[in-house]
Amino acid sequence: MLETLQNLYVGFSVALSPTVILYAVVGCVIGTLVGVLPGIGPLAGISLLLPATFGMDATSAIVLLAGIYYGAMYGGSTTSILMRIPGEAASVMTCIDGYAMTRKGRGGPALAIAAIGSYVAGTASIVALMLLAPPLASFALRFGPPEYFALLLLGLLALAYMSGGAIAKSLAMASLGLLLGMIGIDPMTGFFRFHYGLVELGDGIGIVPVAVGLFGLSEILLTAGQEKPPEVIKPKLADLLPSREEWRESRWPIARGTVLGFLIGIIPGSAHIIASFVSYAVERRISRHPERFGHGAIEGVAGPESANNSATSGAFVPMLALGVPSGPIPAVMLAALMVHGISPGPLLIQQQPQLFWGFIASMYVGNLVLLVLNLPLVGLFVNILRVPYPLLYPAILVFCVLGVYAVNGSVVDIWIMIAMGALGYLLRKLDFETAPIVLGVVLAPILEMSFRQSLAMSSGSYAIFFQRPIAVSMLAGGVALLSLSLLPILTRGMDWRRALGLSPNSEPEKEDEK
Amino acid sequence: MKRTLLVMLSIYVVAVAVTQVAAQETFPNRPITIVAPFPPGGVADLTARPVAATMEKILKNPVIVANKTGAGGAVGMSFVANSKPDGYTLLMALSSISIIPEADKLFDRQPAYTMDQLVPLALISADPTILVVPTGSPWKSVKDFVADAKKRPGEISYSSSGVYGTLHMAMEMLSHAAGIKLKHIPYGGAGPAITAVLGGHQDTLASGPAAVVAHIKGGKLRPLAGWGAKRIAALPDLPTFKELGYDIEFYIWAGMFAPKGTPEPVLKKLRDVLRATVQQADFKDAMTKLETPIAYLDAPDFQKFWDKDAKMLTDAIKRIGRIEEAK
Repeated sequence: MLETLQNLYVGFSVALSPTVILYAVVGCVIGTLVGVLPGIGPLAGISLLLPATFGMDATSAIVLLAGIYYGAMYGGSTTSILMRIPGEAASVMTCIDGYAMTRKGRGGPALAIAAIGSYVAGTASIVALMLLAPPLASFALRFGPPEYFALLLLGLLALAYMSGGAIAKSLAMASLGLLLGMIGIDPMTGFFRFHYGLVELGDGIGIVPVAVGLFGLSEILLTAGQEKPPEVIKPKLADLLPSREEWRESRWPIARGTVLGFLIGIIPGSAHIIASFVSYAVERRISRHPERFGHGAIEGVAGPESANNSATSGAFVPMLALGVPSGPIPAVMLAALMVHGISPGPLLIQQQPQLFWGFIASMYVGNLVLLVLNLPLVGLFVNILRVPYPLLYPAILVFCVLGVYAVNGSVVDIWIMIAMGALGYLLRKLDFETAPIVLGVVLAPILEMSFRQSLAMSSGSYAIFFQRPIAVSMLAGGVALLSLSLLPILTRGMDWRRALGLSPNSEPEKEDEK
Repeated sequence: MKRTLLVMLSIYVVAVAVTQVAAQETFPNRPITIVAPFPPGGVADLTARPVAATMEKILKNPVIVANKTGAGGAVGMSFVANSKPDGYTLLMALSSISIIPEADKLFDRQPAYTMDQLVPLALISADPTILVVPTGSPWKSVKDFVADAKKRPGEISYSSSGVYGTLHMAMEMLSHAAGIKLKHIPYGGAGPAITAVLGGHQDTLASGPAAVVAHIKGGKLRPLAGWGAKRIAALPDLPTFKELGYDIEFYIWAGMFAPKGTPEPVLKKLRDVLRATVQQADFKDAMTKLETPIAYLDAPDFQKFWDKDAKMLTDAIKRIGRIEEAK
């Protein structure tokens, strides 16, 4: 412990040097901008700036790039809350209640809570990263294909158990998402599936066009379809900060989101997206008033926003402790380290203490910078809402198209976005939730890959899922959740209307399960 | 009136012709784009960026890297193959450039592009793959490994960057040369494939040296042999398969291509610039840090290298054939 503090002291002496602080600020500013623009996510931002870091020293470079990463995680929430456009994929859940809050004139508090939640989650998860990195990293390595499959299955079942009332509806949407996720090259045999002659579909459907289409575009279509144009909400200055009650309601979701996000972040994959979904599902399930979710519950902003930020720190655990990238973004950062002649690997912490502890300390600094930078900006961003719709919506459309195109430089992605916009419009008219579709698209490739890898490992025997302790315990958890959600149906008779979630109010079912 | 028109028209024609010639003489006079058909952070991207930065300095003209990803690189490669042959759209391709058309043929697909649609400019780097196992593994040498694999055909598993990917090809060549049968578990990229072996989920893999050298020095992985014609500088004690009597050679290489039909003077200029690029100290420095040795070859030699490499890969794909999963 004393040693850690000493190391941290060394780290802060690195992180508080003026150049490093400057790079942290620059990184956070760029990251926030990158996050605000839909489509251009942290990956694009980091790789664009990678060549610019060739001339810097290693610590400055990594501090700058890390600043972009967590800056983008925060920045993504801005457009989600104000316009219902996910600035990047991890902000999909924030769209739902964040935008509902904006419609009620509480956009300022939503942005403020997102900033504060991100700060708390960022800082707390760095403490965890500092103390727990080596043991946690070796745990993460024990996740092979069967463990992944069990984990993802558990995640899907948990989502079904936790979603408000309409289980059948959200499962149907998740299945649609899973089906969409099947498009592309078969990962085990190389066959093209459902590509209809388009080479661009070879790698499957991207998450960004799906998310921007289903959320942003469908919202614009819905608004255009209203008889009266919606009133322009003029935010008052007094309404920029969260009320006492909103503070109280956000406290625990932030704490839970932090822990969940960190744990999920350690496991390689699209962790920050999954973390925000799980956090939202948990908050909705344990809330005393789940019916408020989707209509502007501040917990639905606080939880997921904290979760995706602490997942960012979690993702650094395997990277720093083992030199194993846990996703595309840490992979680019590893490459950045290699450019500076540092071999990321199991010896990084011993061989480069200056870098490791400087990096940790700079993350504390960076998160503080982010908060200081963004809280005053809340007032500025909220003013976007003063722009009349006939001007605002065409501008948003342009940004959506540009952002989606920028991801892969592919026109096909724009068509996918438009198709998803139309689909989202239809589904929302019919009262379906669209978030589970995004989750399905995110999970399908990982789920399929891990399932088929497992079977390839066991030469086709399903026993492999029951022979490995981590996989078994997660499958058992999944079965338990499934039976819990079936219990009320069995004990209270088969009310098919309620089972299908057709009852207008999901409250009674909630009581059933207590 | 008519005459004035005629004069003006001929002046115009001459002016256009002159400016066009001038435009060719002053190539480049607008930004050049290098397409990296893989996502940021991969070998193609990481090689393209220092190349672009150095070319920019030499040409005093912007050189941009654009990641056009999808379908294992096919999207970006066919984009360049079908773009205007004017020297402003170039390609930074990896070995997989020879794999994709052959795999398309295998599945009776309309090929996204053919190899003769592209002309080679220069080979930038070539790195032999190396065979690694976890430190806890019982195999201390290729001999141990092959002997055990012969005893238990189809039971030893290896991870790869993906089906028909470069790392899959390397292992297929080894299996064929050694007469062994291994179990292939594809992953989504080289990073996850290495993690799988580090975590003990798969038994072995062929990997580029840069990605595993740190794990070897950190005592987590043990190298058994390399696919190169010569030993690699970073691991001078590691034997090559050729030394051990297996006639196989395999490199993960990165090279620059232009669309076929690019005018000869433009090609020459690009080749000259690339030759100068690989000699710049900045560029050498960047590549050393990436642990990717520069293996420059000018177009004629690169063409020979490419033909030989493509032949090897084509044969390997034909041997693998279509993959049918055991029911």
